[in-house]
Amino acid sequence: MTVWLTLLVAGAASYSFRLVPAVLVDRVGALARVERISAYAVPVTFAAVAADAVAARATVSTAGALDAVAPLAAAGVALVAARRTGSSLAAIAAGMPVLWVLAWGAGR
Amino acid sequence: MVALARARLHVSPPGRLPLRPGHVAGARAMATWLPGMATYGLVVGVAAGKADVPALAGWLTGPLVYSGGAQVAAVGLFDAGAAGVVVVATVLAINARLLVYSAASGARWRNTPRWWRALACYLLVDPSFAVGADGYARADAAGGDARAMAEAHDHYLGAAVVLCFTWLLASGIGVLTADALPAGLELAFVVPLFLLGETQRRVTDHVALRAVLVTVAVAVVGRALPLHLGVLTAIAAGLTVAALSLPPTPTTEDRT
Repeated sequence: MTVWLTLLVAGAASYSFRLVPAVLVDRVGALARVERISAYAVPVTFAAVAADAVAARATVSTAGALDAVAPLAAAGVALVAARRTGSSLAAIAAGMPVLWVLAWGAGR
Repeated sequence: MVALARARLHVSPPGRLPLRPGHVAGARAMATWLPGMATYGLVVGVAAGKADVPALAGWLTGPLVYSGGAQVAAVGLFDAGAAGVVVVATVLAINARLLVYSAASGARWRNTPRWWRALACYLLVDPSFAVGADGYARADAAGGDARAMAEAHDHYLGAAVVLCFTWLLASGIGVLTADALPAGLELAFVVPLFLLGETQRRVTDHVALRAVLVTVAVAVVGRALPLHLGVLTAIAAGLTVAALSLPPTPTTEDRT
């Protein structure tokens, strides 16, 4: 498969993931319990994506233990900042400097 | 029926999409996401610009795949010379969470015109789903009548269009300026930090807390699984915990 064909297939398949369940729910109808569970889809999905990214950064670290701890510390500080301020931007503002300082301290 | 017909007319003007207050409100609600998403888009664009693929192909992962994590993975795999089947499978594994978003949104998008649903589905991604869900929750709180739902639809579309435009612009700039951005800044890390903040904001009851804790544990352990299936497994585990933790009938402790 060429790059261009692969892109087209990946794009079409991604769009089908976005479209098909919505159409099915529209035609078949959603159960009340499913609708209630869907209220948790956002925090659960965001937690999965974030945890995966933080763990990925920690495990690919090549600059020692301090560098591996850096993303975990940054995530912890970000959570505290978000909890105290109620702002997700504060999570970035507090977490990124921690990542930079610890990674720099590890010699990365 | 009359209210439904009015809602349809409100959502589906013939041939054009006028700007309504709901669109503007949605765009404003998306504004808090834009700095993080623009940075992420820039980083994805830089990754595409540095990869061993045509620059246009790297940028086209934006409008075609339209999902940062999947785009980064696709570009990385292209760069590594992976087979097309592997690229497609990886993109779909990462984008599997869109199935959850689509199923959850589909219940809200009943009675909307087909063209509107087709566009809304194309624009469905983490931030647009989150901002849209907030709008629909407000519509429910306002009684959930046809007018409130129509405004929530506008809210979603306004937010999603602004996000899409910002994303494609930022990734385009990233492709064009790929060599100027220092890799040491690790700007891609702004996304998990932002998502952690959004998660924290949305954990408002014991069911959500339990579900999120299980999700995080499974996501970390699940990194050993191939094709990024750990993320999907973690989402499934978290939603299962939520399902098992919910009382049989809605109570005041449940999320709305």
